[in-house]
Amino acid sequence: MTNAVEMIGIRKVYPGVIANNNVNFSVATGEIHALVGENGAGKSTLMNVLFGLTRPEEGQIFINGKQVHIHKNSDAIALGIGMVHQSFKLVPSFTVTENITLGGEPRKGLLVDRKAAHDNIVEISKRFGLQVDPDARIRDLPVGVQQRVEILKALYHNADILILDEPTAVLTPQETRDLFGVIRSLVAKGKTVIFITHKFNEVMTISDRVTVMRDGKVVETKDTKDTNPTELARMMVGRDVLLRVDKAPANPKDVVLEVQDLEVLDNRNLKAVRGLSLQVRAGEILGIAGVEGNGQRELVEAIVGLRPVYSGKVVMQGKEITHASVRQRRDDGISCVPEDRYVRGVALRATLEDNLIVESYFKEPIGRGMLIDLNQVTEFSQNLIKKFDVRTPSSKVTAGALSGGNMQKVVLARELSLDPTLLIVAQPTRGLDVGSIEFVHRTIIEARDRGAAVLLVSAELEEIMSLSDRINVVYEGRIMGEVSGAEADEESLGLWMAGVGGNAEAAHEASSEHTAETLKG
Amino acid sequence: MSKFMNSMRGILQRSFTLGLSILMAILVGSIIMLIDNHNPIEVYRLLLEGAFGSTRGLFITMQRATPLIFTAIASTLAFRTGVFNVGVEGQFFIGAIVGTWVGYAFQMPAVIHLPLTLLAGFIGGAAWAYFPTVMRQKLGVNEIITTIMTNYIATFLISYLTNYPMRASATTPETPPVQVTARLPQFVEISKEFGKGSQAHVGIFIALAVVVIMWFIFRRTKLGYEWRMVGLSHMFSEFGGVNLNRTFISGMLVSGGIAGLGGIVEILGVWREYKNLFAVGFGFRGNLASLLGGQTVIGSTVAAIFYGGMESGALSLEWGAGVPRQLIDIIVGLVIFFMAAEGMWDFLRRRKAAAKSGGDAPTAGQTPAKPAEKTEAAGQAAQAK
Ligand SMILES: Nc1ncnc2c1ncn2[C@@H]1O[C@H](COP(=O)(O)OP(=O)(O)OP(=O)(O)O)[C@@H](O)[C@H]1O
Ligand SMILES: [Mg+2]
Repeated sequence: MTNAVEMIGIRKVYPGVIANNNVNFSVATGEIHALVGENGAGKSTLMNVLFGLTRPEEGQIFINGKQVHIHKNSDAIALGIGMVHQSFKLVPSFTVTENITLGGEPRKGLLVDRKAAHDNIVEISKRFGLQVDPDARIRDLPVGVQQRVEILKALYHNADILILDEPTAVLTPQETRDLFGVIRSLVAKGKTVIFITHKFNEVMTISDRVTVMRDGKVVETKDTKDTNPTELARMMVGRDVLLRVDKAPANPKDVVLEVQDLEVLDNRNLKAVRGLSLQVRAGEILGIAGVEGNGQRELVEAIVGLRPVYSGKVVMQGKEITHASVRQRRDDGISCVPEDRYVRGVALRATLEDNLIVESYFKEPIGRGMLIDLNQVTEFSQNLIKKFDVRTPSSKVTAGALSGGNMQKVVLARELSLDPTLLIVAQPTRGLDVGSIEFVHRTIIEARDRGAAVLLVSAELEEIMSLSDRINVVYEGRIMGEVSGAEADEESLGLWMAGVGGNAEAAHEASSEHTAETLKG
Repeated sequence: MSKFMNSMRGILQRSFTLGLSILMAILVGSIIMLIDNHNPIEVYRLLLEGAFGSTRGLFITMQRATPLIFTAIASTLAFRTGVFNVGVEGQFFIGAIVGTWVGYAFQMPAVIHLPLTLLAGFIGGAAWAYFPTVMRQKLGVNEIITTIMTNYIATFLISYLTNYPMRASATTPETPPVQVTARLPQFVEISKEFGKGSQAHVGIFIALAVVVIMWFIFRRTKLGYEWRMVGLSHMFSEFGGVNLNRTFISGMLVSGGIAGLGGIVEILGVWREYKNLFAVGFGFRGNLASLLGGQTVIGSTVAAIFYGGMESGALSLEWGAGVPRQLIDIIVGLVIFFMAAEGMWDFLRRRKAAAKSGGDAPTAGQTPAKPAEKTEAAGQAAQAK
């Protein structure tokens, strides 16, 4: 059996880092090959080399047994390689069809044949079970659907070897299962899939073989059936990793954040949050579980001040902040790790220093009068980089040059640098490796133990269950029900998340009771 | 890997594209000259000699560069906050006329009069930038359209003012001369020898001061940080609590103010009274110089001086060789064209790659972001050594 892909002795150096160090990597035709490794291990770099997005200093590539020279992206595409990127690269103001066909539009004479494009996309999306409205604009679509568009796009361009760089990071469990169906049907039709992920259960479920990378090198390639998550984690990180978090019982104190009958509109001016109430106390973690797109994003944006409140109230430590500015809320002690790391969380073209100081440049000791003290900036940044173990050659590189996990550490470092009273974290470990997840989870628990109120929003049930002291399940902009972290079980949470369980009524009553109680208090 | 090396590499790369564009422009320019029956080598020699080959040429270069430095910096400031201020032209005029009025209508000692007049120019320009800014922030109207509109309005308004209320001469539409107490001395007026044959004036020091101050503001102040960050990513800045409205508005106002200051400096140093349409095109050339200079403070200053030199050379060409000075505009236009074409080429290439792969498609209407590629190129440069 020939190898669809054979990469030999690949070496790629970035300023200050060896991203790929003599990497050998091969993928058999028709297999599903998982590629795992820590953040910054060099997985995306290796795939970028294969996809012709970057040129290695050394190394050879064979496709279907023949040596090839991939100098540019179009060479790779011509060889039948397709890639779905880790961060979205869609044009927000274009429709799904326009994004998918961009540059390769079917033509009728000189004109773009929109109808043909449209039909073709509908056909592909049917064939592979990827439901998308071809006429929707990207900016109106939830993250999960955008990812689907990316996959469709690669399929549209007739890829035989499909690279998926962390495709499941943004998918719901159901969507992930659907995607696995797609992958299996692709492989059944003779295609080859390279699948990057940080989730070991996915590796175990979907892959035939798995390659582990660490520090720019390949540690080992194994048949999936001969390995297990614990071993994978050890190979990846180089030490034993706690796959579950330890935490002391919560010690909740006063109410810090109170949201009352909140209604918030989404980008299409529809109500995304519909009469939601909740409370978070100092020293506890409240987890908001729910399938993505049920108003979580709008809820967080409304609390942080990025989105106007339609009706209802947001109260922080007894003070109403429903209409306060972002800066005022931050001064009141609100910090937030946003869901859109690449858009809100960092400025990709700015240096790490500029990224790290956005919440402290105007305060002592960095800000002095009208000035910024550059020495303080460097010292402040380097401290945070050290404390949060951000892997970077310098504090002056642009954020865009960091791997996903390191970028998230930058966001966390900044948001925790102010010792927040309320810490909001949205999808905090999306795209992070086990080691980093452990780190992020520990950091969140430490913030709680220091007395911060933590509001955790996550689509990852496991994450919600292992971190939260209390769990609220959100469905269509309302809280379906509440359980304590200890009593939660996947089954009933899952039902609530799907809007089933008849608890909606009860939940409604419970939340109005809540409100009544606070009014009394 | 020092920061210095990094920035050096950036500068080298930039100079390379600039050099290439200039070369291409010179080539195409030569063809045009040949068609027009001029010897291109001779013309270029005269051009350079005229601009930099004599003290007098240098002074004329300085004189021509002075207003361009203001307008280039004004454009750069706006660009860096993510705004294309085409209105620099109109802001330049309004600053000039408001300052002129303060300059002739009042009598006071020079120590007060001169600063006050300059301030009036700054405020005039800033005020003229205010309207398009508000239109953009409140109504979402594209600033390119509104600033072009305000340029027209400025022209008409000034035409009216110089023809009627502010008119001093019966024969031509011009204002009374500004008081001696408000003038910026020309070098010849200070010493008879220094700067003879030019109208170069001490306004150049104000221009250079503006350069230094802006450089400092961008690098070392809170306001500069906000301007830069909003330009780099307004989504991120908003999340970080930066007040977008305030930052955009302050950026535009200061941009307009600097343009207006340039206008009044030109009046006080060279013209000493407002002649209708005394200096059409300084604003637009400032926009171009900023683009040429890579939208950085230092780069656009160098570009402005270069542009001033070309104009100075063109003047001497016109006198010496009878070559129309429009030819220079064509050449500078060509330089810009080739540089823009380079950017365009890059843009299209990436767009094409993106189309095939789902790669990094540049978003319409935004400055394309390409951090990864830059570092990548730097990496390859490093390896080449
Ligand atoms: N364009 C670039 N410029 C500079 N350094 C880069 C660039 N791209 C990647 N790197 C560096 O190369 C190393 C490998 O990065 P890569 O993105 O391949 O990691 P990864 O394994 O995909 O990590 P993640 O799981 O976080 O996505 C990192 O140290 C990263 O900082
Ligand atoms: Mg990656």
